[in-house]
Amino acid sequence: MKDKILGFTCAYAPVPIIEAAGFQAFRVLPQGECPDQAGQLLHDNLCPHVKRVLDRALDNDLPEVSAMVFVNSCDSMRRVADAWQVARPKDQVMVLDLPSTNTPSSIDFLATEYDRMARTLFTWNNQAFSREKVRARIKVWNDLSHTLGRLETKMGEAFYPGLAAAVQIVVNTAATDSVDAALAMAKAAVAKAWAPARGHAPVFLFGNLLFDPKVFDLFENWNMHVTRLDFCTGSRFVSTVDLSLADDPFVALARSYMTGPPCARTMDITRPGNLAQEIVERAGASNARAVMGFTLKFCDPYLARIPGIRQALQDAGIPFLMLEGDCTMGDIGQQQTRIEAFTEMLGV
Amino acid sequence: MMYDYFSSIVTGITAKLEQDPQGIHARKRYALAVATLGRRLYSGDARIAWCGVTAPFDLLNSMGVTSCFVEFVGAMLASTETAELFMQGAEDAGYAADSCAYHRAVTGAMLKSAMPVPDFIIGTSSPCTAGLAVMENMAKQYNRDLFVVNVPQSESPDAVRFLARQIEEMAGFVGDHTGQALSRNRLGEALELTNEATVLIKEIYGLAKQKPSPVDSRFLNNFGVVITLFMGTREGVDICRGFRDELRHRVATNAMDASQERIRLMWVQNRIQFPFPLESMLAEYGAKIVVDELNDVTWEPMDPDNPFESIARRILSIPFSRNADARVTHLQTLAREYQIDGAINPCHWGCRQGTGLRGIISNGLKEIGVPVLNLEIDCVDSRNLAEGQIHTRFEAFTEMIQG
Ligand code: SF4
Ligand code: SF4
Repeated sequence: MKDKILGFTCAYAPVPIIEAAGFQAFRVLPQGECPDQAGQLLHDNLCPHVKRVLDRALDNDLPEVSAMVFVNSCDSMRRVADAWQVARPKDQVMVLDLPSTNTPSSIDFLATEYDRMARTLFTWNNQAFSREKVRARIKVWNDLSHTLGRLETKMGEAFYPGLAAAVQIVVNTAATDSVDAALAMAKAAVAKAWAPARGHAPVFLFGNLLFDPKVFDLFENWNMHVTRLDFCTGSRFVSTVDLSLADDPFVALARSYMTGPPCARTMDITRPGNLAQEIVERAGASNARAVMGFTLKFCDPYLARIPGIRQALQDAGIPFLMLEGDCTMGDIGQQQTRIEAFTEMLGV
Repeated sequence: MMYDYFSSIVTGITAKLEQDPQGIHARKRYALAVATLGRRLYSGDARIAWCGVTAPFDLLNSMGVTSCFVEFVGAMLASTETAELFMQGAEDAGYAADSCAYHRAVTGAMLKSAMPVPDFIIGTSSPCTAGLAVMENMAKQYNRDLFVVNVPQSESPDAVRFLARQIEEMAGFVGDHTGQALSRNRLGEALELTNEATVLIKEIYGLAKQKPSPVDSRFLNNFGVVITLFMGTREGVDICRGFRDELRHRVATNAMDASQERIRLMWVQNRIQFPFPLESMLAEYGAKIVVDELNDVTWEPMDPDNPFESIARRILSIPFSRNADARVTHLQTLAREYQIDGAINPCHWGCRQGTGLRGIISNGLKEIGVPVLNLEIDCVDSRNLAEGQIHTRFEAFTEMIQG
């Protein structure tokens, strides 16, 4: 029998919990051609991520999703959780409370939230709650994370045409289909003999969402060697859960998620503005010569940090190109001239 | 600049009050308290904390910290028509022009060194996470320590415990920075004062509900949000008593003019902060704002024996901390209690938290027969204001209500 599908929208909703409860995890990505109607329930000044997700709900452009987990990661996410319940009142919905900081009390609370999430999902799926099942799925997830890590290391070492898109396809499979299938694909990609090429400018990419594999092929056509996909829909999504951190898998999940590479909505209050420095460091570690940021319009968490990131990159002497738009290929297509000029300027 | 501005207000109002020391003058006394706080913030000799809107100001007051939410500065800059300069500065520095203008104005002021440097910073994730980004940037810019109060969206026992724990940790953080640990006695006294003020506030709102209402559109403008800054102080109690006495006086002397409120309105979220002839525009159509969404008491009395949990429950009860259902239910309750005929939602551009609920709020109020006028306006940034259009929309809205 096919697993029931449970939708989610944020990288802080742990897929291992969803799968342990017997659901197929399906990340509702902001894609598709459905009509633009989210503004009727929300407002047009919300980010294209949440608007498109809601458009899909309103247009029923989803597989058979009957339950959703939202994470109140930012103001816009809170609003889409509200609107979903109006748009699809029959769905079971839970909202996970995600603290903004990685202090010990925040991590303790998030662990209780992950525990609550697991109990809720097991109940929704009429299954007996089992920490062991969660732990087992975390192990598979970590296997995927390590395998992807090898591919990402390879991305930084040299330019392998098509590798960035291949990595993205693996991540998308884990997000919308199954971690087992993604793992098999990742292993096949590791085993494949990739032929390196020369003459492309190594660029570290970061931002919130960029998940269409075709985008990375386009970038390659525009003379770019993508060294890292530092997105909520990229490498940050499949981050390792360090099970040695705690006996309780929920505590291990909370600690790992809150102390791993942060997205703009999570802060280390002991080092305000550290996201900027982390980007400088991660770009360097991936052997990039430059950084390109991609942020959705109206995304407050990212947009408010961009000036700081720009400054840190400037201080480090790393060229930076910032793009702001929606999630569509069309939008990226319009940036061709700027991106080509940028890679050309890098003079590889 | 701001110090001089606040000083001149203090001097001006003090002189006026001296001419009639026996008068109630609730709004003037309130404005004097606000200006005095502003002057203290900018004086350079107070220990100050920039905070998020839902920070526990009674606790901070009990610890001798002059504290204020940063949006207060955004509103002040707008009211003095100086926000534009600072917003432009923030935009020139790369901050998105689509963000909340309260935050843009504050960011611009920070970049132009027009904000007092705080001793430390306390962010809150309610009402909005957008504000947290500003607090983080501020901590970086001023090289000051940051504490963040994460406000969960539910009121589950775990959520209450988490928030209460953070409030206690926050008190420790403040103590570490002031060199004076929290005194449970002083906090207890502050919470008693909060309770005293809250009783008066409830009375104020009870009077405002009368039909005709003794308030005019301006009387309680920004009151619910700003009064939190004075919680836990005797001054706060006195301000509230002034408002209560003035309303009682108006009722006793029949000072309300029923003809001025053919249409009773509710204002959703924040008021327009720059000079704008809202009240006169509404009065033209016999309409009056009798209630603001943020003017309500949603919490139980503070328990001085259980201060952190009490404070946590209060923060969690604020409709902005909660989901759309709770917010709409609250608006519906206010609409019924105040017998309103319509609501105005200014849909402050850049506010994902509040404006993001535009459609859901409209539907929720329509469900109980209350029409909503959604204005597309920026409450702080007047650069794109289309005053004529707003006039026309008020006219059409009030005509529609009157049938
Ligand atoms: S973090 Fe940004 S992109 Fe993601 S939901 Fe929030 S506003 Fe949208
Ligand atoms: S108006 Fe909205 S975004 Fe701006 S400070 Fe208030 S809640 Fe936050």
